[in-house]
Amino acid sequence: MNSDLLLTGILQGLILALTTYGVMVPFRILHFADLTAEGAYPLGGAVCSSLLLMGSPTVLAIIMGAIGAGCMGIATSLVHLRLKVNSLLSGIILSTMVYSVNLRLLGKPNVALFHRALLFHPDHLTHNVLIVALILLGTVLPLMCFLKTERGLLMRAVGLNPSFAKRQGISVAHYTILGLFIGGCFTGLSGGLMVELQQYVDVGMGVGVVIHALAALMLGEVILGNDTLNKQLLAPLVGALVYQQIQGIALSIGLAPSDLKCFTGFLVLLVIAMQRKKTGEPS
Amino acid sequence: MLQLMHVTKTFPGHFGPVLNEVNLTFNEAEFCVIIGSNGSGKSTLLRTIAGEYAIDHGRIRIDNQPHQEVRSLIASVIQDVNQGTVPDMTLLENVVLGCLKRQKAGLRWYQSRQQEALQQIQSLGMNLERYLHTPIKNLSGGQRQMIATLMAIQSKPKVLLLDEHTSALDPKTQRVLMAYTAQAIEQHRMLALMITHKLDDAIEYGNRLIMLHDGKVVLDVAREQKQALSRNALLDLFHQYETKDHHEQ
Repeated sequence: MNSDLLLTGILQGLILALTTYGVMVPFRILHFADLTAEGAYPLGGAVCSSLLLMGSPTVLAIIMGAIGAGCMGIATSLVHLRLKVNSLLSGIILSTMVYSVNLRLLGKPNVALFHRALLFHPDHLTHNVLIVALILLGTVLPLMCFLKTERGLLMRAVGLNPSFAKRQGISVAHYTILGLFIGGCFTGLSGGLMVELQQYVDVGMGVGVVIHALAALMLGEVILGNDTLNKQLLAPLVGALVYQQIQGIALSIGLAPSDLKCFTGFLVLLVIAMQRKKTGEPS
Repeated sequence: MLQLMHVTKTFPGHFGPVLNEVNLTFNEAEFCVIIGSNGSGKSTLLRTIAGEYAIDHGRIRIDNQPHQEVRSLIASVIQDVNQGTVPDMTLLENVVLGCLKRQKAGLRWYQSRQQEALQQIQSLGMNLERYLHTPIKNLSGGQRQMIATLMAIQSKPKVLLLDEHTSALDPKTQRVLMAYTAQAIEQHRMLALMITHKLDDAIEYGNRLIMLHDGKVVLDVAREQKQALSRNALLDLFHQYETKDHHEQ
């Protein structure tokens, strides 16, 4: 494997790590089975692209993409909390609706972003890796700090024991909305960065993103464990980097790109089997 | 301080009201023990006061305010140890959660409350300090129930609700937990309502005794009268109502 291939894997792994954090917050912190990422990822990309096409500065476009996807997280939580719709179904409904929103934003199913002022330079891989690493640090560190504050502790309590939280007078709705907003922002940020990297946006870019992020998250948890908060917060990063390299190796030894989703599914099942064996749970 | 006026509660599919026109008034620093056979409405009474169940009609007021508006003044400990704590969190995190019920949570590190939490854990006198950073799911049922009780008491509620909180424990731990609970209630001058099936506890603890039957208050005695009651006299009362039920059937 040459260094360019390794760096490309790291770069894509870092961007995937952001999506993985976006999935980790609802799934692991709030214990809220959520598919919002499937819509939030392309929404982040679509908002970012449409702003770039309007001549907006690239940083602003990425931030707005993240906030837009965060708002989608709020919408999912409100559908679940107010209309009492199952959490998975809420995410699916919102993702379906967002597909139309993305088409409206872009005007057509896919748009190229060549000749725009973008964050990444195609020929400077190290520079690109550094930029994403800094963005990751600048977003994951505040999340890490927040979860170690009193309010963060309350959010974790809501996820771990909602009936206890209610009896303690903790607003489960408040922290669910906040958690899904944070998760949406991470996913939207990842979508925006991917669009900038590829210089191309497609309304179908979110298909399968949750399964990729879950595979990365579970892989990270198998490698590091998830018995402490620090391990839980590092697992998405480590998992995404390893997962992307595994994918790269699989492709380099001849796996067809069309078989990648099937490969991911097998990997997830393998990781689940490994976790079962590790915890000693009977099958 | 706590007033229940004509409180009635029914559940769909349940024959008759579970609470039937209950009228009770409790004062500050009162430790009231509630007894009654299964299905008499004891737990429903406590859960209704806690605001977990909506009542069909009647009123519940704490310090002249509707109880739903002052839920932060109420703390409860229930039989199920998993519901009174967050088992996946450490002892420190759980005790801090207890502190946060009476204080507004902010953006300061929860670890900064370690000293405060440590003092509270030491007050239990059970040598639990060594488990400060251990997830409490790894502790015994008795230790976890002690922590759940500590968390409820340290949140300094005006009304403490105890629903058979010692029933799943061994006799020795039961005695330690009851002694701690009784001392804390007296020290903090809170109103405590405790459900128990143990008649000895009903006689030994508290300064008021209430017996429920079919959702109605059938016995309500103060400390002096309670002390005059023997275990056998209470048992006779239980049998009296059971026989009445049997004849009605």
